[in-house]
Amino acid sequence: MQSSVFSQAGASGVSLGRVMAEDAFEAVVGAHHAEIRRYLLRVTARASDADDLSQETFLRAFRAYRALPPGANVRAWLFTIATNLGRNHFRAQSRRRRAYAAVALESPAGAPERADGRVLADEARARVEQVIGGLPEKQRLAFIMRKMHELDYAEIGSSLCCSEESARAHVFQALRKIRKGLDGQLSAGTEPGS
Amino acid sequence: MSETSCREIEPHLLASAMGEAGPDAVERVRVHVAGCPECREELVRYREVDSMVDTLRRTPGPDDDATLARAQLTSRLADLRSRLVTFGIFPSPLGPLLIGRSEMGVAVVEYLPASGSLTAHARRLLGEEAVEDRAATDGLRAELLEYLEGRRARLAWPLDPRRMRSDFQRRVLEATAALPYGAVTSYAGIAARIGAPSAVRPVAQALRWNPLPIVIPCHRVIGNDGDLTGYAGKRVELKQRLLAVEGIQALPAGRHDFKVHRESMYTLMNGDVEYCLPTCGSLAERPISELTLFGTRERAEAAGFAPCSSCRPDLHPLPA
Repeated sequence: MQSSVFSQAGASGVSLGRVMAEDAFEAVVGAHHAEIRRYLLRVTARASDADDLSQETFLRAFRAYRALPPGANVRAWLFTIATNLGRNHFRAQSRRRRAYAAVALESPAGAPERADGRVLADEARARVEQVIGGLPEKQRLAFIMRKMHELDYAEIGSSLCCSEESARAHVFQALRKIRKGLDGQLSAGTEPGS
Repeated sequence: MSETSCREIEPHLLASAMGEAGPDAVERVRVHVAGCPECREELVRYREVDSMVDTLRRTPGPDDDATLARAQLTSRLADLRSRLVTFGIFPSPLGPLLIGRSEMGVAVVEYLPASGSLTAHARRLLGEEAVEDRAATDGLRAELLEYLEGRRARLAWPLDPRRMRSDFQRRVLEATAALPYGAVTSYAGIAARIGAPSAVRPVAQALRWNPLPIVIPCHRVIGNDGDLTGYAGKRVELKQRLLAVEGIQALPAGRHDFKVHRESMYTLMNGDVEYCLPTCGSLAERPISELTLFGTRERAEAAGFAPCSSCRPDLHPLPA
C-alpha cells in the first residue's frame, strides 16, 4: 500500500517533452555564454557585473526559449537580452557610470611623444578603450556589437530598438569620436595602405 | 567619375576604412584621396583606429574568464528548472482546470473559477515564474479528459511532491493514492492506514490541501457515515460526479451533501483478499475506516480481489 506513488516515473505513459528543449538549451549556453559575458564585460567594464548579467541573460533566455520560433537567430536574440539588461543596469547605476566616464576623461587627450613605438601603441589601445567607455550609451553598445562581436546592422538595430540605418549611424559616430580622442596618438601622415 | 567633396566622401571614407564599403564607394574614395592629402591622412587614421580596435577585439582582457560565471549559471539554471512550473488551462466537464508540471513531474492540478482571468489566477497560484505552455501539458490534458469521461482508470504520471506541505501530508496522500479506482474509504480509514488512527482531522486537512486532486484521488475519501462531507472548497458536487464516473453512486443527503449508502456497496475488509456483500458476516457493524467499499464487482475484481467464497457476491450480485 505504501509503495510510493511518487517514484513511478519510469512507468509513466506521459512523455516529458521538455527534456529535449532543455538539452537544446544546454547547447545554447555552451555556444554563447562566453561571448555574451565578454560583450557584457566590454559594456560594463566590470567582471562582477559581467558575471551577474551574463547569468541573468541566460536565465531569462531559458524562460523564453520555448517560445522562440524554430530557426530564430539565437545569438542575436541573446545579444538583445544582454543589451537590455546592460542598459537597465546602467539606468540603475547611472552614478557609477558617470564616475566611469569621468575617469575615462581624466587622462590627457594627447599623449607625449615616445621613442618606443610599442609603448605608444599600447597607450593608444588603452586610450581607445577609454574613449569607448566614455561614449554615449547607444553609440558605445552599437560600436561594441559591430566591431567587437561583428553583428550586422540589422541585428544591432533590433537589439537597440532602432533602425538598421540608425545602428550604422551610431557606429560611425562612435568611430569619429574615437578618432578624435586619439588625436596626437596616431602616426598620421604616412602613406595609406592599399 | 565626378568630383566628390570632402564632406560627401567622409562617410564612405569611414566605411572604406572599416572594410564595409562597396566597390563603388571604395573607388570614389580612392579617386578623392588621390587628389586630397587631408582626406588621405584621415583615411590612414581611420584605418589605424580600425586596426587598434581589431587588436582590442582579439586580445583577451585580464577578466576574460567565464569559467566561474558559467559554473554559477549551470547551478542557477538547474535550480530554475527544478522550480519552474509549466502550466496549461483547459475546459473540462468539471469546469476550467489547470495542470502544472515541473521537470520532475506533475506538480499541481487545480479547479479554476468559472469566471475571471484564469491566467492571472494561475500566476497567483504558481508564481510569476510559471510559464503557460499548452503544448507541454497537452498529453496530460488528453489523459485527464479521458479519465473524466470514464475511458481511463489510471493516471500513471510522474509526480512532483514539492508542493506538499509536510511529511505527514505526503504520507496521507500516498495512502490516498493507493485507494483502488472505483473504491472509497473514510478519513479515519486513511488515518488508520498511515498508523495515526487518532489523526482524523489532520488527515481531512491534509486532503483539503491536496495539490493534485483527481490524480491523487482524495474524492475517494468520505465521512465515516458515508457523507461525502467536502471537496474543493464547497464544491462537493464535483466529488459526487468523480465518484459517479468510477461507478459509485452518492445520493443527495441534505441541502449541500451527498451520501454513499454502504448497503449498496461491495465491501472489502482491510487486509482481506476477497470482497463481500455488505451483509457478509459482521461487516455491517464495522466502521468504514476498516473497509474499502466498491461500487461494482468489476472494480473490485480489477483491483485484484476475488469474490468471497461464503457470501458469493458473484452469484448474488447487488441490485444495480
